[in-house]
Amino acid sequence: MKRALTVALLVVVAIPLLYAVAQLPQHGSPMTPPYTHISPRYLEKGPEEAGAENIVTDVILNYRGFDTNGEVTVIFTSLAAVCAVLLGSRKGDERPAGEPSSSAVPVSDVVSFVVRLLSPLIAIFAVYVMLFGHISPGGGFQSGAILAALVIVTTVIVGRKQAEALVPVRIRRLLQVAAPLTFFVVGVSGLFLFGDYLAYPKTEGQMWLATAWLIVIGIGIGVGGAAVLASIFWTMGDDS
Amino acid sequence: MPASALLVGVIIIPLVGAVLTPVVGGRSGRAAGPWALAVMLVTSAIALMLIVHVANVGPFSAYLGGWEPPYGIELRFDEFSASTSVICLLGTLSILFSFKYAEKELPPERIRYYYTLLLLNLTGMIGFVVTGDIFNLFVFMEILSLSGYALVAVSGERTAEMAAFKYLIMGAVSSLMVLFAIGLLYALTGSLNMADISVRLAGAEKAPAMLAIAAFTVGFMVKAALFPLHIWLPDAHAIAPSPVSAILSGLVVKTGLLGMIRIYQIYYGAKVLDLSALNTVLVWLGAISIVMGAFFAIFQEDIKMMLAYSTISNVGYIIMGLGLASQYGVIGAAVHIFNHALIKATLFLGAGAIIYRTGYRNLTDLRGIGRSMPLTTAAISIGAISIVGMPPTAGFLCKWYIALGAVEAGQPLFAVALVFGALFIFVYYIRMVNTFYFQEPVHPEILEVEEAPLSMLFPVLILAALCLIMGILGRIPLSFVEPAVTRLLAPLGG
Repeated sequence: MKRALTVALLVVVAIPLLYAVAQLPQHGSPMTPPYTHISPRYLEKGPEEAGAENIVTDVILNYRGFDTNGEVTVIFTSLAAVCAVLLGSRKGDERPAGEPSSSAVPVSDVVSFVVRLLSPLIAIFAVYVMLFGHISPGGGFQSGAILAALVIVTTVIVGRKQAEALVPVRIRRLLQVAAPLTFFVVGVSGLFLFGDYLAYPKTEGQMWLATAWLIVIGIGIGVGGAAVLASIFWTMGDDS
Repeated sequence: MPASALLVGVIIIPLVGAVLTPVVGGRSGRAAGPWALAVMLVTSAIALMLIVHVANVGPFSAYLGGWEPPYGIELRFDEFSASTSVICLLGTLSILFSFKYAEKELPPERIRYYYTLLLLNLTGMIGFVVTGDIFNLFVFMEILSLSGYALVAVSGERTAEMAAFKYLIMGAVSSLMVLFAIGLLYALTGSLNMADISVRLAGAEKAPAMLAIAAFTVGFMVKAALFPLHIWLPDAHAIAPSPVSAILSGLVVKTGLLGMIRIYQIYYGAKVLDLSALNTVLVWLGAISIVMGAFFAIFQEDIKMMLAYSTISNVGYIIMGLGLASQYGVIGAAVHIFNHALIKATLFLGAGAIIYRTGYRNLTDLRGIGRSMPLTTAAISIGAISIVGMPPTAGFLCKWYIALGAVEAGQPLFAVALVFGALFIFVYYIRMVNTFYFQEPVHPEILEVEEAPLSMLFPVLILAALCLIMGILGRIPLSFVEPAVTRLLAPLGG
């Protein structure tokens, strides 16, 4: 009965939804507002006035850089949320004693060998994605995810102690907020040099500076994102 | 400093302050509280300057990155954005109140993250109310929602974690609705700037525009806890730490309402749809919320649970005022957003101080507390008469305006619902005040309890004083928002 009601309700909701979506301008057609209003300027002028060959990078780090400033803050918020909810948990909340924890399962030699073999290559690839985000697909977020994956895989294979050395304890809190801090530094520089927060140089002669700032932000997002993801992984894995 | 730089600063300073809190706070977290307080004081100063500026010259903008809209992101500070002031005020006082609370109730490892999340939550709300770009609004909504979920769970009790989880599920669906609606608007107009959307929406297809406003309404009304989307609120607001309850009940639910005002600004201006059907639904749901919230509040034993239900009731007033779409109604609603924040913070922080000292939260257990904590209970009593809406307190003028709005819109019956709700509210607050002062204590030790510590007492007394001051100076906010409301409703008249 309950299931039948749910289905009936879903159908009732779906009909107006489908009807309204069918009335939208045809998806993907070059004559629709998303393609005729703002995008042409991004596509035509992006590389000249925003500093990066990769137009996606132009939009997320320059034209709409403030959104990305907010998004990296969302990522940091998730870390703060995990720490605030999980750190210093009271005793008694733990799983019953005697249940084997995941770390008790030995890692296969093959997996261990392959990970060790690939680690340097993963690291190099992450740095490549980070530094070439303004030219080719990629950028800070992607490289941050790759770096974090590297740290997490290393944690599983060689143990947490050695892996933690990759994100040094003394500056870890700063690394975790590298992304919003980089935005802040670049943003305030823009405010003082060009009059607006997150303003990049727009004249042709100074384009190199815009590109350099895009790369700096990319590095900030990559390093910060990796530190946040790795820290979330470690915090959630804490048994104490 | 140019106003546009200050406008950016009011978001960026608390944001950077928040991300630096874990660094500054240190392992013990002892420095985190004073740091957060300092950050909020600076932010409040900036907010004040912005409000003075908007009162002098009217709404103004900042273009981020120097890209003019619609290509870049625009921040726009109008009279509704002046709610930044109450966000800063409540934020500052709640942080001060948290000093003793965090020390006593939280594991030391969590303290610095607690303040980090508080600052992030406030940053999210400030960004939400000052942005003029609809996707940017969503980004800030994510910041304030995520930090809100975690703040509910921060005490680490099982019930708190369950409440936070419920809040998270409802909140995630509501965020999804809002994002979906933004996508629809983008497909229709190709723009993300609110003013630009409003212009371009005029010639758009009606059905998707209607779906978009429906999705916005549902999404924002979950955040605002309008009946029947309120089910997450009582647990989350009652179980959260008291300073967090004050922020959630006073401010976070209001972001849903302010978001709704932004959507109205877009749609009224575009004149693409006749919104009277939606407004009728909202007025009815508002009226049901008023009565239901007040009715359930009567049966609560837990003092914070009672306050939480009262929030549902008050959100009903504001929605009713907005839905009436008449000059008086909307002005009353806009000012009640501000006044209810003050009143509810007084009550939640006062209740928090009592719970901090006694450890009890049920009304029966708290009998006679008025004798041992006279200042705190006096402040709560002021909050109580304000929320009922008795003159000369902060609650009176805005409820009066909403009632006038109902008459002005030709629907005087809703004014009756409003008075009826106020009567229910009167009953449960009289019950609370009666318990505090006139009943014999169940626990004799309650008479031995000390008055709240100064860092808790000070915010509560300031807020109680403001409840009275805003009652006497109530005309100032009313005339302050009037031009904005006139602009909002102007397209309807023509």
